[in-house]
Amino acid sequence: MLTERTSVTSVVADRVIGEGLVVLALLAWWMLARGLPEFILPGPVGVVRRLIELFMMPEFLWHAFTSAWRVLVSIAAALLIGGGLAFLSRSVPWLEAVVDERIKPVLNSFPSIGWAILAAIWFEPGDFGVIFVEVAILIPFCLINIAEGLRNIDRELMEMGQSFTRRRLRILWRLTLPLLVPYGLSATRIAYGIAWKIALVAELLGAPSGLGYLMLRAQTAADSTTFLATCFAIVLMFVAGERLVIVPLERRFAHR
Amino acid sequence: MVDTAIALAQSSRSRGLFARRLAAHLFMLLFLAAWQAAALVAPSYLLPSPVQVAWRLWSFVTSWRDLGHLGASLYHVAAAIAISFVIGSLLALIPYYVPLLRFAIERRIGPFLNSFSAIGWTLLSIMWFGVSPLTVIFAISAVLVPFALVNMSAGLANLDAEILEMAESFTRQLWRVFALVIVPSLYPFIFATLRIMFGVAWKVTLTAELFGGNSGLGYMINLSRQEFDTATIFAAIILIIAFVHSMDHYILAPLQASVSRHYAY
Repeated sequence: MLTERTSVTSVVADRVIGEGLVVLALLAWWMLARGLPEFILPGPVGVVRRLIELFMMPEFLWHAFTSAWRVLVSIAAALLIGGGLAFLSRSVPWLEAVVDERIKPVLNSFPSIGWAILAAIWFEPGDFGVIFVEVAILIPFCLINIAEGLRNIDRELMEMGQSFTRRRLRILWRLTLPLLVPYGLSATRIAYGIAWKIALVAELLGAPSGLGYLMLRAQTAADSTTFLATCFAIVLMFVAGERLVIVPLERRFAHR
Repeated sequence: MVDTAIALAQSSRSRGLFARRLAAHLFMLLFLAAWQAAALVAPSYLLPSPVQVAWRLWSFVTSWRDLGHLGASLYHVAAAIAISFVIGSLLALIPYYVPLLRFAIERRIGPFLNSFSAIGWTLLSIMWFGVSPLTVIFAISAVLVPFALVNMSAGLANLDAEILEMAESFTRQLWRVFALVIVPSLYPFIFATLRIMFGVAWKVTLTAELFGGNSGLGYMINLSRQEFDTATIFAAIILIIAFVHSMDHYILAPLQASVSRHYAY
């Protein structure tokens, strides 16, 4: 009884301290911003007001939507290509070294801005260039995770599957893919995080639209309020996507 | 009988290994050939030929000015890893010693740092610090801190409670327990963290240098982009791939493996 009560009070205390820290940080920001010019550090009130304004603006919503669908398409394409490469290296023995020792290390250590610049040189500014860069950045993460999943597949289960049917497609559909789901999900989760945090760089160099483009425009115009508001909008969209899509998916498939 | 079977199996495996090596090298040759063929068609500011890039790579390695840029990038990466490792580990240690702050750090500070975009940090630090090495180091560190925080928290959560109890029965000095028990049991996590941070740092460094640096490979790439000197961009990218991969493959991975063998249980 006593321990339960203390644990409840300590949970409450944790929460109070946690939220208190947020309030404290906001206060510190406000104090700091009061002494500084607006183009260096705008105050929290101004940023929040701009954030609300932005979410009411059709133009901003369109940019946000553009970025979001690019991210989603890129994640899907990267999962397909990375998964395809992992399957190739697993099922065609002589391709194993090609994928593991040539393609993977190169993609994995390729700097993301390198892709962005190459795409800016090669393609017209637009959706295709941005998606190309995002896919190129995300492929190694998907490849590594799905390859890990393939390596960890239970051999005995596969043997059992082969004793039931000889059709490879059936085994793939009924056994391999369901066993890969957790790894695919963790690949999706990682790719989602990287896409919003790092792959947006694609929109700085080769796009006439998207949140990255908006951020660069605000920064060159020294409009710090809009810039910070866009940053926070990205944080909000990232968290919303994670809570609304990725966590439910993981919960749905975690029990299998 | 058995011996020959084993020997046979081994030889067939080594033949398989050889075939795989061959396939990998053939793939490289094919890739280079395709690149050369494409370069014949495309103008050199779009796609320089492999030979051009090789020449540029050679002049890169022999030029002190270019090597200086590589050194600047290395310095940015090393400084940012050191700073963010210390900050991230401290943030991870706070909830361990002050459980009251667990919610604040794991549910408020962690997710915030984790979802703030790298470009945001970069452009923000340009506004704050101007174009300087400080900007670059700040931007990389801000991106790396959540990685250190998440990994070191996982390490602390995996500490063996029985070993800690044993340690507490020997001494009451928190510092002694920390230095002699907690830190050694964290070694595998420390190395894993450093390895991940090294990989991510290089992905972000060039971006930060391109927008907010006045030295480093990213700055160099930006200059060559404006001059349509695509060969230099390719040379810099190849140099980075070679450096990052060999560092990870020949130094960090063996180091991590040996540390894990000693300390993991």
